[in-house]
Amino acid sequence: MFLPDFDYHAPETLAEACDLLRDLGPSAKILAGGTDLLIKMKHGLVTPRAVISLKALDELKTITHVPGRGVVIGARATHNDLVNSPVLHEHFLSVSEAAHKMANNQIRNRGTVGGNLVNAIPSADLPPILIALDAWITLVGSNTSRTVPLHTFFTGPSCCVIDPVDEILTEIVLPDQPTTGSTYLKFGLRRSGALSVTGVAAAVTMDGDTIVDSRICLGAVFPVPVRAHDAEDVLRGKTWSDELLAEAGEAASCCALPITDIRGTAEYRLDLVRVLTKRALKRAITEGHV
Amino acid sequence: MSDTVKQDYAVIGKSVPKIDGREKVTGAARYTADLKFPNMLYGKILTSPFAHARIISIDTSEAEKIPGVRAVITHKDAPTLKYGISPARWDENIFCIDTVKFVGDKVAAVACIDEQTCYKALAAIKVEYEELPAVLDPLRATEEDQPQIHPEFVRNINAEIHQDFGDVEAAFKEAHYVRTDTFVGNRTYQTPIEPHTATSMWDGEKLTVYSSTQSPHYFQYYIAREFGLPMGDVRVLKTYVGGGFGGKLEPTGLEFGGAILAKITGRPVKMFYDRAEMFAHNRGRHRQYMTITSGVDKDGKILGVHADFVMDGGAYTSLGIATAYYAGAMLTLTYEFDNFRFDMLRVYTNLPACGAQRGHGAPQPRYAFEAHLDNIAKDLGIDPMDIRILNARRPNTTTPNEFLVNSCEMKACLEKAREMSGWDEKKGKLPKGRGIGVATGSFVSGAGYPIYRTDLPHAAAMIKVGEDGTSATLYTGATDIGQGSDTVLCQMAAEAMGYTYEQMKIVAADTETTPHDFGAYASRQTLMSGAAVKQAGEEVKTQMLETAAEMLDFPTVDLDIRSGKVFSPGNESVTLTFEEVARHFFVNRGPLVGKGSYTPPKLGGKFKGAAVGTSPAYSFAAQVSEVEIDEETGEVNVLDVWDVHDCGTVINPALLEAQVHGALFMGLGESIWEEVKFDDKGRIANPNLSEYRIPTAMDMPVVHSALVDSYEPAGPWGVKEVGEGATLPTMGCFRNAIFDAMGVSINSLPLGFEKVWRAMKEQREEGAAE
Ligand SMILES: Cc1cc2nc3c(=O)[nH]c(=O)nc-3n(C[C@H](O)[C@H](O)[C@H](O)COP(=O)(O)OP(=O)(O)OC[C@H]3O[C@@H](n4cnc5c(N)ncnc54)[C@H](O)[C@@H]3O)c2cc1C
Repeated sequence: MFLPDFDYHAPETLAEACDLLRDLGPSAKILAGGTDLLIKMKHGLVTPRAVISLKALDELKTITHVPGRGVVIGARATHNDLVNSPVLHEHFLSVSEAAHKMANNQIRNRGTVGGNLVNAIPSADLPPILIALDAWITLVGSNTSRTVPLHTFFTGPSCCVIDPVDEILTEIVLPDQPTTGSTYLKFGLRRSGALSVTGVAAAVTMDGDTIVDSRICLGAVFPVPVRAHDAEDVLRGKTWSDELLAEAGEAASCCALPITDIRGTAEYRLDLVRVLTKRALKRAITEGHV
Repeated sequence: MSDTVKQDYAVIGKSVPKIDGREKVTGAARYTADLKFPNMLYGKILTSPFAHARIISIDTSEAEKIPGVRAVITHKDAPTLKYGISPARWDENIFCIDTVKFVGDKVAAVACIDEQTCYKALAAIKVEYEELPAVLDPLRATEEDQPQIHPEFVRNINAEIHQDFGDVEAAFKEAHYVRTDTFVGNRTYQTPIEPHTATSMWDGEKLTVYSSTQSPHYFQYYIAREFGLPMGDVRVLKTYVGGGFGGKLEPTGLEFGGAILAKITGRPVKMFYDRAEMFAHNRGRHRQYMTITSGVDKDGKILGVHADFVMDGGAYTSLGIATAYYAGAMLTLTYEFDNFRFDMLRVYTNLPACGAQRGHGAPQPRYAFEAHLDNIAKDLGIDPMDIRILNARRPNTTTPNEFLVNSCEMKACLEKAREMSGWDEKKGKLPKGRGIGVATGSFVSGAGYPIYRTDLPHAAAMIKVGEDGTSATLYTGATDIGQGSDTVLCQMAAEAMGYTYEQMKIVAADTETTPHDFGAYASRQTLMSGAAVKQAGEEVKTQMLETAAEMLDFPTVDLDIRSGKVFSPGNESVTLTFEEVARHFFVNRGPLVGKGSYTPPKLGGKFKGAAVGTSPAYSFAAQVSEVEIDEETGEVNVLDVWDVHDCGTVINPALLEAQVHGALFMGLGESIWEEVKFDDKGRIANPNLSEYRIPTAMDMPVVHSALVDSYEPAGPWGVKEVGEGATLPTMGCFRNAIFDAMGVSINSLPLGFEKVWRAMKEQREEGAAE
């Protein structure tokens, strides 16, 4: 396995990066941590003639809380940046926890949240928790800038709405919200360096024991990360109980359409959705943090 | 208790730091792939994309035109003599001639000025194939309608074994209870960290190969044979090796192809496998299909055992004949019974060839037998620990297949494991979802016979004391592949010489500079290489004492040496340093050298296959594990493992414990995760470390490792093996713990989460149906 030859650019500003991307056209690829891109290039699955690294754009690496907007995560923040961010610990600890469940320490030091989203594989670990927390993202082009709710971003395995010849994902925004608890449960086949067989994120807004609202997002069981609306409907306005959460788990299975692959059968994944959904809800309700 | 001969040793029995620890930890150690030679070329092998196909034509002309390509070779450029590590079945060619037999079979090779050019050249070689139907299901391989893989092996039978000791039928008739169980193993791969590499170069008619090898000797022997060279004109040596576990015991296309490319180009050629190519080359664990029937009396005493197995050999023999024999032979060791029958078919399939992996053929049958024994214990209402203690082998006994067992503390291992693990407090009393299991294992301390027939000693060693006595160098063919044999053998040399470990140097595993040794396999080096080293050290010591006696004008018999000091017990005025004496020796008599060699006694019976499994000594082990099962997801969480070993005298406790941990790590992986999978075309679906899951540090349970007192009369200072034996109990132990936790029997490896989930689901559904 060998990286083929390519031109390498490391623009100093976002505008320059966007212009380069537009000028170089489809033969160029954005490089963040490279933990997905470089592997694909080594396998010959993508063969860009030019690679545009975002490494000089430090402004895309910050994680801050902007009152009135929410927590703004730069697309270049690494998984370990998410794991260690005091801002996330204060506002959305479950995002730090989810990031900690990814890959292994070496990869967490390199892989970025932006790469995880744009790469758009169904088993990616960050989309479920970010969708459950109602995240939206900003895509900047050479002459444009738009915001997209994350749950509408993914269009299929390895497909998303980003314009690959013009747009760069710059930030992920977790809006201030009434959510009282959230969590992400990952089921992998070993404790480190395992891709998800199934992942379930849940966010709940509780009023005492009453579930005012909830968002449940399933990973690795559908072509894209998918909201389990049926399960959310089961919960809305109800007083929580183990039975109710189990019912939500059953309902969540109906929202999944998993495939059988080397990591597990569809049948197993469906049952995992059921189990993980009720467990994630229980944690979100009882753990006491968002 | 064993007849322990305990002595106050100066060097052995201590956890001295590894002799190469510093180099490895600082990154200074240069592994084979790090070596660079002037003018060196890079070589790669083109392999078959089909599991079974006829080669119609190979056109290398386009590849040859690519700038930077220095040679392109096929079978036309290579000797056609068939090779293989099992002399009973030479069935492999350097490059395929008529047909390719698995995805990954060798078709051509290139040598280029850099690695990148190699890939371009490989892509430019045009091979026309006619795809043939392939044998992918080992259980169907012998059927009439299946394609024939090797014309000379009818119905794809590579080896057929029928061994019968005592009278199994009579034992079953007499038995209170007879039970049959069937289990299926998994294809696993050794997964050494370091990929295979070989750099070959010629100097006139002499070939030198730096290889990442477990046995320079077998490489030298088979490379010389293949090219018709005298062994003296083939030098094989290694630098550091990053693990082998059985997968680096035989020369590969890297050595054979590399030698040809180096000859044609007149330049050194470095060849290597990447991770996927390692999986394709394989030589890993065979998948075995194991049916076991046992008869026991009403107390659970085993009266007779019948093992009826099939193993998937893959496309070539590799070391598989021995594997096939080991599979049955080692079943007789840990428990005593007189009647044993073993039937085995090793079949060819169009899949990568299997060979020897840590524990050789024994771990899967051991899993099957330990699971089977727990089933029997459950049926009879006997505690699994009790049934094992009842049947445990005793010292100075002979197995039905005529293995002589000297030291054996099987019972003590079980009793200690029982106590350490709190077995009696836990068995049957753990909360739902938790379980505890026990299993045993035993392994050879070196094979009684070498892989090919020869009367060479199994090990030899030479020690040269430095001229001024401030250092001594051990020359040994023993092969350190990470396990620490260089360290242990230097400890042994220093002990035997009366010297210090810190002053020892070592030159090892180089067929030109070091004396012959068969290398690192069959857990042989501590006992066998150690015996040769001890003899060499004692020869140095004798000469030292004679010289000291001369210098002091004192009777030799009243002198001794220890830790570099010559002294007379009881006479404190008499002292000389090792340096003084050694220097005196050199000045007056020339080099101070000691030599040693080791040949095991004649072992084993007269029946066919009697040699496999013989050994001067056997290790014994008991393992207990406690697991926690997630009842809804099937996730298996191994909480604690207690490993109690009878491995004779311990030379280096830290290295011993490292072997136990390492073996357990591998056993854990094979038990729960590891399995090479194929698609319906015979292509490996997971030739990478992402989907072929070996455990990580995060997955390791708490390991409690302990020893029982034991002394092996056949080993130097009473030593036995530990390296492979510790892998044996693990799979059965986990299966039994899961059985205890959930009452479900997982009858195939690995004991993966989904499999456990499914078994529990089926159990629930059956429960509901009743
Ligand atoms: C050993 C290993 C284990 C892994 N384990 C996990 C795991 O457990 N869970 C998991 O979810 N993933 C895992 N991954 C996948 C990977 O690490 C993550 O998806 C990671 O987040 C990718 O980020 P990156 O910065 O490395 O992306 P890159 O490889 O740099 O880029 C990925 C893709 O996104 C595009 N891109 C990147 N940033 C931007 C941007 N700002 N704007 C527009 N396009 C962009 C690139 O062009 C490319 O197409 C693993 C990978 C490896 C190698």
